[in-house]
Amino acid sequence: MNRKFAIFMIYLLPIPVLLVSLLIGSSENIGISDIFYLFFEPRDSSELARSIIMDIRLPRILLVFITGGMLAVSGSVLQAIFRNPLVDPYVLGLSSGAAFGAALGIATVVIPVQLSAFVFGIVAVGLSWFMARKNKEVSIVSLILAGIITNGIFTSLLTIVQIMSDPFKLQGIVHWIMGNFHNASWDQFSLIIIPVVIGFVILYFFRWKLNVLALGDEEAASSGLNPTRMKIWILLAATLAGSAVVAVSGIIGLYGLIIPHIVRMIFGVDNRRTLVFNLLLGGSFLVIIDNFSRTMAGFEIPIGVFTMLIGAPFFIWLLKKSNIGWQQ
Amino acid sequence: MRYSGFTYGLFFLLCAEIVLIGCDGNTSEQKQSAAIQVTDFRGKKLALDKPAEKVVCLIESALSGIYMLGKQDKVIGIPGDVYRGETWQRYSELDVRIREKSLPTPGNWDFVSLEQVVSLEPDLVIIWSSQAQAIENIERFDIPVYAVMMHSLEDVFKEIEDLGKLLDAENRAGEILGFTKDQLKTIAHDQTAESFKTAYFMWAQGINETSGQNSTVQGLLRYAGVKNVCDLHDEHATINIEKLHDWDPDMIVMWYNEKLDPADVIENPLLQGLKAVREKQVYELPSAFDCDFWTLKFLYPVQLIHFWAYANQDTTAKPDPEKLLRVLYNQSQSDE
Amino acid sequence: MATIKPIIETNGLSFAYHSKTVLKDCTIQIPENQFTVVLGRNGSGKSTLLRLMAGLLPLQKGSVRIDGIDLKKLNSKQRAGLIGFLPQKHKAIFPFKVDEVVLTGRAAQVRMIPSEKDRSIRDEAIEMLGIGHLKHRIYSELSGGEQQLVMIARALAQQPKILLLDEPVSHLDYNQQIRLLRLLKKLVTNGKSIVTVLHDPNLALAVAEYFVLIHEEKVSHIYADEANYYKWIQSVFSCDIQKVEREGVSFYIPRI
Repeated sequence: MNRKFAIFMIYLLPIPVLLVSLLIGSSENIGISDIFYLFFEPRDSSELARSIIMDIRLPRILLVFITGGMLAVSGSVLQAIFRNPLVDPYVLGLSSGAAFGAALGIATVVIPVQLSAFVFGIVAVGLSWFMARKNKEVSIVSLILAGIITNGIFTSLLTIVQIMSDPFKLQGIVHWIMGNFHNASWDQFSLIIIPVVIGFVILYFFRWKLNVLALGDEEAASSGLNPTRMKIWILLAATLAGSAVVAVSGIIGLYGLIIPHIVRMIFGVDNRRTLVFNLLLGGSFLVIIDNFSRTMAGFEIPIGVFTMLIGAPFFIWLLKKSNIGWQQ
Repeated sequence: MRYSGFTYGLFFLLCAEIVLIGCDGNTSEQKQSAAIQVTDFRGKKLALDKPAEKVVCLIESALSGIYMLGKQDKVIGIPGDVYRGETWQRYSELDVRIREKSLPTPGNWDFVSLEQVVSLEPDLVIIWSSQAQAIENIERFDIPVYAVMMHSLEDVFKEIEDLGKLLDAENRAGEILGFTKDQLKTIAHDQTAESFKTAYFMWAQGINETSGQNSTVQGLLRYAGVKNVCDLHDEHATINIEKLHDWDPDMIVMWYNEKLDPADVIENPLLQGLKAVREKQVYELPSAFDCDFWTLKFLYPVQLIHFWAYANQDTTAKPDPEKLLRVLYNQSQSDE
Repeated sequence: MATIKPIIETNGLSFAYHSKTVLKDCTIQIPENQFTVVLGRNGSGKSTLLRLMAGLLPLQKGSVRIDGIDLKKLNSKQRAGLIGFLPQKHKAIFPFKVDEVVLTGRAAQVRMIPSEKDRSIRDEAIEMLGIGHLKHRIYSELSGGEQQLVMIARALAQQPKILLLDEPVSHLDYNQQIRLLRLLKKLVTNGKSIVTVLHDPNLALAVAEYFVLIHEEKVSHIYADEANYYKWIQSVFSCDIQKVEREGVSFYIPRI
């Protein structure tokens, strides 16, 4: 009963969150009545209100929702295939790799931004995995340490791109490193929606097989799966969706770690169910955080600041709580 | 089977991406018959049918320019930084809306709230050209954008000239430009055959921070009749202290600095080998507002630096900022 | 021997990790529907042999036939229908529930998500092992013996003909060991073929119908034979063991 209520809530949650967020913004002259007119009496609504709600707030809210959802989904998927509850796109270096790739794509023009973000996202995860692997084993802690190195490498490269590139092309470095949505637009939305949908559909297809992979390679292989091949496809899909959103949002730290754990606490570990819950809760929660980020001060606080401040103590708590030894 | 499906998907994605990138063109068409035409610092042509009436200006130095042109009534949005510190005090004397903080602040040099800009319904937005994404977004709402980037004092002249056209103040623009250029000529005239003194410019962040040849600082020092020792090309450069010893300037000019005074620089043990330090030729520009050399107010630091460098050689009197500002802000008649 | 058809045959099987040979020219047959016990010292290649037969390690030299078919010609789905494998110790990372763990045994048959049929097969497997009361418990919170039963149920949910178990009792207390072996014995009567690695010669003799002995790179296979058993285990374990007979039953006790 309780569980059913929670499931009901999580399916319903995005609707009020998205609607209320449409009302929140830095411009004071848009109110509930404008939204009412816009949806029910479009002829009476003012051009300005329409423009602000439909062309500024809506694309931003949708972009934030998709970003939050995809970070949570790829976080949970990465945790399952690496069998490591402490990783997410940020910890593995996927985010910084993709952010570097995107910045490089923007700065050089010739390379498509999304493709470049995807390629460097893959390179970063591969690098972390390669560094952490010893005697054919990848321990939980060594993977995190390797991720720190990867993060360092790619944020440095990102800084180089920033310094070398034409200031006309690239936004400020802090926007890349701490994440930001203040330039959200329908253009950005249309840029990410295809890779995100493709990535998510593939992950959705594999959602139950993630349970098998999460048990371990030998267990998966003995029940007739090819774990290596399957992991590669899942990793490609998770990186495709993850890097696409990073390319427009910048690095939003630790978000992909928090949400999957909250989902697991409420709904258990069965990825067959949690994949969609991650999408919905991850999306809604980031929209709420972004509402703070765009209204708390006169200027905009990068959204990654909030996720890092929430995520870091959460990470420490997880590390202390779980029986993860430093040797394994 | 399903893997090949994924491959097709990936291929499709790539194609879609190429198409999307291809479409990313400029959507705003240009009106050839417009009454007012200027080219901004991006090289983009800006065409207005009539002078702008509602201006959101997100650059403090350009805002100064608008006040000098006497068109502050057209300003409906300003950068958030204006409401802080000395800048706020100085603007408070010029505009009651700023004193009461009633003018909206939809952004600053780093960040723009698209929503606030759009909801103000401006007919002109003035913004740094480095905020490329914000510019793209604003232009999508068919709001004209005048983008600014300063690399020299000539850029300041161009900005004032353009603002004069855009805001229907061409005469006033001509007036203050003429005044400034005349004043500069008197300094150039003062220069004797005496060899140029050399100067090192130090930004507020510290002794290592300076500007190279391709910068407004370069122009400032040149007009003041001294030579910039920094031979790098960068607009902003972080240099090594050893490099500074190689250059060994005759004088050090500090930008307005809240933490350091010339005395601190003179006592800095790392700098004792420098001629300028030994001879105590270290000067600080007295006020960020009065000396702002992204505006025509650069005249004051030019005069000051020239005075510091050559006061004992010619008869230049110590420059008076109040007199200068009164002319530039056109306050001779209506002194409130 | 000719009367019973071999379910697994290996031919000239050799395996080396890097340069260290662990298995050399191993040719054995394992009979169908029997309880086979593999005996040998640590590092003698028992686990390697089991993994090779389960298709979890690449074949370097030699061949394996399962139910008359070359292992290489089986796809993963067919292989999963023939062989279930129980690794030595499963390390749980995520707090999966017992029924979720058991259901993953159906992986080879499931295209996207498990069907109603898969779930009923899972429930049968859980019932067969008598762990219905654990169904909704968290796997990682169970005792070692219970965890082992869950993993066996998982292997059974795969519905294989053969079950390969790598030291299934080594982490269990005495009571759990006996119960587990009794259960495996029952599975043999239900038609499964069991191959398991054991360390205790008394337990091995109590359950085994057939032996695979690994001693100094030599692998032999033979039917259980009480008369020769004493000799085998002394050579396999190379230590001093005494045989005690009481009421027609033999016990093997080490001299310490």
